[in-house]
Amino acid sequence: MRMVAFALVLAAASPAQVALPPFSKRTLPNGVTLILSPKRDVPLLSLRAIALGGDEADPPGMTGLAEVLQDLLRRGTTTLTAEQFAEELDVLGAAWQGRVNWQAFTLGIDCLSAESAKAVELLAGAALRPAFAEAEFKKALAQRTDSVKAVKDQPERAMMNYFPKFAFGPSHPYGRVADEASLGGITRDAVVKQHQRLFGGRNLVVIAAGDFDERALGAALEKAFGAAPAGTRYEWMKDPGLPRRKGPRLLLIDKPDATQTYFFIAQDGISRTDPDRVPLQIVNTLFGGRFTSLLNDALRVSSGLTYGAQNRLPRDRMRSVNYIATFTKSETTVEAIDLALKVLDGFVKNGIDAAGLESAKNYIKGMYPTQTLETHGQIATVLGDLAVFDLNRGEVDDLFSSIDAVTVERANAAIRKHYRGDRLQLVLLGPAAKIREQVKKYASEMRVVSINDTGFPVPEF
Amino acid sequence: MPVCASTDNLNLMRTTLVFLLLTVFPVFCQSLKVARHTLSNGMTVLIHEDHDLPNVALYFFYKIGSRNERPGTTGLSHFFEHMMFNGAKKYGPKQFDVVMEKNGGANNAYTSEDVTVYTDWFAKAATELIFDMEADRIRDLAFDPKVIESERGVVYSERRLRTDNSNFGALYEQVNAAAFTAHPYGWPVVGWPSDIEGWTMADLKEHFRMGYAPNNCVMVVSGDITEATALKLAKQYMEPIPRQEPPPPVRTVEPEQRGERRVSIVKAAQAPIWMAMYHTVRSTDASYWSLEALARVLGAGRSSRLHQRLVERDQLALSVSARTGESLDPGAFIISAQLRPGVDAGAAEKAIDEELALLTKNGVKDREIEKARNQIRAELYRDLSTIAGKANQLGTWEVFHGGHEKLSEAETMLGGLTPVQVRDAAAKYLQARNRTVGVLVPEKKEAAQ
Repeated sequence: MRMVAFALVLAAASPAQVALPPFSKRTLPNGVTLILSPKRDVPLLSLRAIALGGDEADPPGMTGLAEVLQDLLRRGTTTLTAEQFAEELDVLGAAWQGRVNWQAFTLGIDCLSAESAKAVELLAGAALRPAFAEAEFKKALAQRTDSVKAVKDQPERAMMNYFPKFAFGPSHPYGRVADEASLGGITRDAVVKQHQRLFGGRNLVVIAAGDFDERALGAALEKAFGAAPAGTRYEWMKDPGLPRRKGPRLLLIDKPDATQTYFFIAQDGISRTDPDRVPLQIVNTLFGGRFTSLLNDALRVSSGLTYGAQNRLPRDRMRSVNYIATFTKSETTVEAIDLALKVLDGFVKNGIDAAGLESAKNYIKGMYPTQTLETHGQIATVLGDLAVFDLNRGEVDDLFSSIDAVTVERANAAIRKHYRGDRLQLVLLGPAAKIREQVKKYASEMRVVSINDTGFPVPEF
Repeated sequence: MPVCASTDNLNLMRTTLVFLLLTVFPVFCQSLKVARHTLSNGMTVLIHEDHDLPNVALYFFYKIGSRNERPGTTGLSHFFEHMMFNGAKKYGPKQFDVVMEKNGGANNAYTSEDVTVYTDWFAKAATELIFDMEADRIRDLAFDPKVIESERGVVYSERRLRTDNSNFGALYEQVNAAAFTAHPYGWPVVGWPSDIEGWTMADLKEHFRMGYAPNNCVMVVSGDITEATALKLAKQYMEPIPRQEPPPPVRTVEPEQRGERRVSIVKAAQAPIWMAMYHTVRSTDASYWSLEALARVLGAGRSSRLHQRLVERDQLALSVSARTGESLDPGAFIISAQLRPGVDAGAAEKAIDEELALLTKNGVKDREIEKARNQIRAELYRDLSTIAGKANQLGTWEVFHGGHEKLSEAETMLGGLTPVQVRDAAAKYLQARNRTVGVLVPEKKEAAQ
């Protein structure tokens, strides 16, 4: 493959404006929000059931509960065993979509339109009537616990477990990461209670996108999900804000056998609803969001130091961090970090010009339609995103005009505000014996942990 | 998107799953209107119109991959894939990406044992520009020594990422090398480290001359473009590129395996991996789709046999997979399991062997075949819901399945699959004497530290 970081997007035209396909939205008597977006083309259907809360709602001491709960929802209902549920899903050729992030659980089924009745039945069974059989609970928990250990065999994924604890700190909800200890504290009773708390009607959003009869499928979903108890709507936690750091810090995760060093360089980022989100998306495209970005050009194209370099810009409900992410052979660790910092410094000092701005605008507008609105699954995802973050359809319908309105001055103001280059937070994963002394220079405070230590221990400093 | 039929009418007719799949699916596949042209220089051009979005997907399937390499130049096809983005005569270094992204387009590429595929997605308005850039690099690629050295570093980094620092990738490479003793499928697509370090300019130029002949390429255009316009652009930009000798035939045939082979890797790891590779057939062989169905019976979805046995019942593995794939020469069927930490790989192997023995002894149920058919159909169907997916499928069927036209026969072929065929495929190919077993053994932690 030629690219990892930028490969999964498709380009499209740069029309004057794109629009979300038509959809209807209504609230059922028990509080369920039902969104229907029929689009008559390929006879496929995407169904989603979203429960607000997600990882954020994990009770203290039970980090990882949301992930265990999410897995258990497809492990049997009051009328189907886990194996029967799997069999009924697989025989349709359907694809199960199950994930949980900081703000929501998403369960979904992608299937042929003609199988809508069966798919509704399976989805509602999973969301509303899970069995939580003791044996399945034990199995799910044991597998999750082993996955937490096995993730260390994949350096990039292991990084994603240490990094939040380091970047957000212990008092921020996003600084909580599941490990053997936290999973050990989860009980079946806690899973049942969390399900009762979060899968009530007032906390559910049900979406259908695809080729279907609106009246018939609407009635089927209304019947299936209208049966849920109303429950209460999840109350979002207050964003505690990012921890204030006095200066740069560095966490080195020692993996003695690694032949390359993976590193993240983080600074304060934005939330999903930040007023700067459009200009920031534009400038980040130029900095580290596409193949010809400054970072990828310097670290990959011009120097051959890495297979790919990018700057990630997570957009969650609470304010997050943005971070450079790349890797290089251990011998060139310092060369690569120096170069990444130099690129960041140049970006902060020089900003962008009119030609760069125009190129980034064209790129984003070219990507957006097929990246976001081509398939039924994509449309369901956008509709879910709007519901979870309480945004309106202007987020899509006005996007291109918002992009067009960004001037060079506005873009450079966003750079000055969000890319600072001081108090950087660095996480490295690599062979400490080879690189420890060389990387001390990046931070006044540095800690080293061994990947072989149980869990993902991150000392406070 | 093409509409295969009125959904309302179909709803009136649909009464059962089987009926649905036997009716809707072939209608949809057959509704994929594809025009085939052959340029005077031998390039095959497939054109599919889809006017739903103002976009075009342009795919180039060059029939050259790691099977066309030799010891000393392994990985060259993949390296070349990278070099195709590093400048040509008209569009210099970096310009292919810079100009494309500036015009709202993006690209990628992939290399396998058999093919190197270039993929462009772009706004309709940029169509002629993309044809111009593609023709430029096919005809007049630049060979700058500095760029070659830089890109060598990128490719080595990719190898470190996917193989050296990936337990699965490291084990796969060794199992594959042990399974194929003579045929070029035995070396890694990314290349052996010493070859990555050793490629010369002469190797590169020879590879380019050999593989990138227009008569060795299938170009697929899918999207918001008329057949006439696509053909006109193909004639204008691609047809002047001179025909060349294609790569010589791959003569080596892998000798029949006559006994189980075993490899192991001792590596720092939390959890062991078990893997087995069985020799099978090329994708035009009559058994190919039986093996695809067998892969699903064994490993697709949580209801599959191996998932139920290893993950759910015996709880030996975190995940298990069974797969095969398209190949020009006889390929492989691979079963792999990410075992749980501390699990004895021998216990997992015993459980897998028991499941394989049960399948060959008692056969496959009708419902399992129905499930496998539906899974294959649904995967294909989802692929065909985007212009990029359609371009990729058309090119793949053209190169690996005897012509894109065969896609419209997919339903007939799937409908003809029987439990006996799938059982027979398992009995014939999934034998111990025909396999190479690999185990990744976690190194003791004390040693790792």
